[in-house]
Amino acid sequence: MSSHRLIPRAPLAARVDLTGITPAALAGLAAGEVARLGVPFGAGTVPLGDLFHVEPEAGDILLLGGDPRLDFVGAGLASGEIVVDGPVGVHAGSGMSGGRLVVRGDAGDDLAAGLEGGRIEVTGSAGANVGGARPGDRQGMTGGAVRVAGAVGRRLGARLRGGLILVGGDAGPQAADGLIAGTLAVAGALGAGAGRGMKRGTLLLASPPTSLAPGFVDAGPQDFIMLALLARRVPELAALFGGRLSQRANRLVGNRLAGGEGEVLVLQ
Amino acid sequence: MSSGFEGISAMILNGVEIRDSFAEAFPMAGTRLIITADTPRWARTAAASLTGFATSVIGCGCEAAIERELPAAQTPDGRPGMSVLIFAMSLKDLKKVVPLRVGQCVLTSPTSACYAGLEGGAAVPLGRALRYFGDGHQIAKSIESRRFWRLPVMEGEFVCDEIVGSTTGAVGGGNFLILARSRAAALAAAEAAVEAMGRVEGAVMPFPGGVVRSGSKVGGKYAGMIASTNDAYCPTLRGAVPSALPPEVESVLEIVIDGLTEGDVAASMRAGISAVCALGAPAGVVAVDAGNYGGNLGPFHFKLRELMAPVAGGSIA
Repeated sequence: MSSHRLIPRAPLAARVDLTGITPAALAGLAAGEVARLGVPFGAGTVPLGDLFHVEPEAGDILLLGGDPRLDFVGAGLASGEIVVDGPVGVHAGSGMSGGRLVVRGDAGDDLAAGLEGGRIEVTGSAGANVGGARPGDRQGMTGGAVRVAGAVGRRLGARLRGGLILVGGDAGPQAADGLIAGTLAVAGALGAGAGRGMKRGTLLLASPPTSLAPGFVDAGPQDFIMLALLARRVPELAALFGGRLSQRANRLVGNRLAGGEGEVLVLQ
Repeated sequence: MSSGFEGISAMILNGVEIRDSFAEAFPMAGTRLIITADTPRWARTAAASLTGFATSVIGCGCEAAIERELPAAQTPDGRPGMSVLIFAMSLKDLKKVVPLRVGQCVLTSPTSACYAGLEGGAAVPLGRALRYFGDGHQIAKSIESRRFWRLPVMEGEFVCDEIVGSTTGAVGGGNFLILARSRAAALAAAEAAVEAMGRVEGAVMPFPGGVVRSGSKVGGKYAGMIASTNDAYCPTLRGAVPSALPPEVESVLEIVIDGLTEGDVAASMRAGISAVCALGAPAGVVAVDAGNYGGNLGPFHFKLRELMAPVAGGSIA
C-alpha cells in the first residue's frame, strides 16, 4: 500500500477546502491523477497540482505540508492516517469518523467540529470552537478523542455530545457552553464564563477556575474512583496532568440554571 | 509417586486407584467479573456475597465462585480486587443473574466497583441495567467506545462497566469423587485438592468450600425430584443397593468444577486429582472416580485416566 505527499508550492493566496482528500480517496491513484483532482480554492476550483507538489510516498500515511489557509484537512476521514507538517486552517478533522489526524503546528477555528470517531493530535494551539458544532448542526462532537498540546480559543467543547478533548495549555472564555455530554480536560487556566447552559458531561481542571458562568453549586471534595479508572484507561489524561491526577477532586455541579447535572472537577 | 500393577488394566498413583471412568459435563454460558474495593478485605466481602447461594443451577439460578485475588496493580482502577466466575445454563439466564447479583451484593458493598473480566461474546448488561438505581442522577462516561457508569450513593460513587463479555463455550459439571477410608481422610484429601485447584485460572468449584458431600444422581423415586442422593456411593447403603464402593471405603466426597473452557476444567481436574494422589494411600485415599450419566447427555467427557496419564508417566498397566 502506498500513499502520497502534498507540499504547497507557495504560501496559499486564498483558502483551500481539502474535504475528501483522504488516504482512502487517493488509494491506488498515481501522483499525476491526484494532481488532477479539483479542490475549491478561493471562489473557484483548481487542480491540486496547481497548488501542491504531489509525490508518491511509501507507507500508508498521507503527508501534507501545512498552511494556515488549508481548511477542512481530514474532514470526513473514516480510516487511515493524515500527518500535517505545519499549521492548518479551519475545520480540521471536521466530521471525522475514524482514523488519525496529526497536525504538527497550530490549528484554526472549528478543530474537530462534529467529530464522531478517531483521534486528532495537534502539537501547537487551536482556535475557537474545538469539538463544537458544524454550521447547521444542533450538537457538537459526538465521539473520538482530541488532544491539543497548546492552548485553545473560546468556546471549547460548545454543545459537545460525547468524546474526549485534552488541552495541555489554557482554554479561552466560554468553554463547555451548552455541553451535553463528554469529557473536557484542561491542564492550563480556564477562561471566564465556562459552563453556561451545561447539561451533563465533565470539565476536568488542574486548578480552580477564576470565574465560571453563574449556576454552579459546590458539592465539595471527594475521592473519585472514576478518576483512578480514567487515569489507567486513558494514559494521556494522566500524562496531561503530569502525575497530579489522583482520585481527589472538588466537584461543582451545574449548570443548575439550565437544570443540568454536569460537573466541573477541580483536581486537589 | 510410585505406580503399581493390579488386575488386567489399572492406573494406581501412590496407592490410589484411578478408576476407568469419566466425568460428563455440559455447555454453559459464563463470564468473569472483577470486583475492586479500597482494601482486600472489602473486595473479598463483596465477592463472597455475590458468589453466595450459587452452588448449583438446580436451585440457585447460577453457579459462581471466587477465582482468585488480584493485586492492586492488576485491576482496572489500581485498587485491590477479586475475580469471580459466574455460570448459567443459558446466555438468557446469565444476562439476568449477573446484574441481579452485582446489584444486590456488590453495589451495596462499601467502596466496591465492578468491571468486566471477560471481553467479547454476547454483551451481558451490568451498568446498563443498574444505572436506574441512580434515579436520574447517574452518569455515563464513554471512552473510546467503551462506556462505564457512575451511580451516586451515600458513600460516594459506585463505578461499573456498562456491559461485560461472555462465553457460551464454558463447561459445567466437571467432577471427580474421592473414595477414602474415613471421613477425615476424605476431607483432608478434598481440602488439598481445592487448594491446588484454586491456583488454576479459568475454573472454579461452586460448592461450599469447593466440595460436595452429597453428590447426586439424576431423578429419584419421588415425583418431581430433579436429583437425589447417589446411593451407589453412599457407604451406609453398601449391600442394600448396588454399590460402587469397596469394603474399605467409609466416606466419599465429590468436587465439581465449572470452567470458562474445556481446557480449564481439565487442568483443574488434573491439579485436584494430583493433589489427592500426592496424599495417596498413606493418607487413607483408596480411589478416585467420576460421575456421569452414561455419556449420552453431556458432550464433554473428561476421562480420568487420560487426564492423569501425563502425571502417571504412562504407567497404565
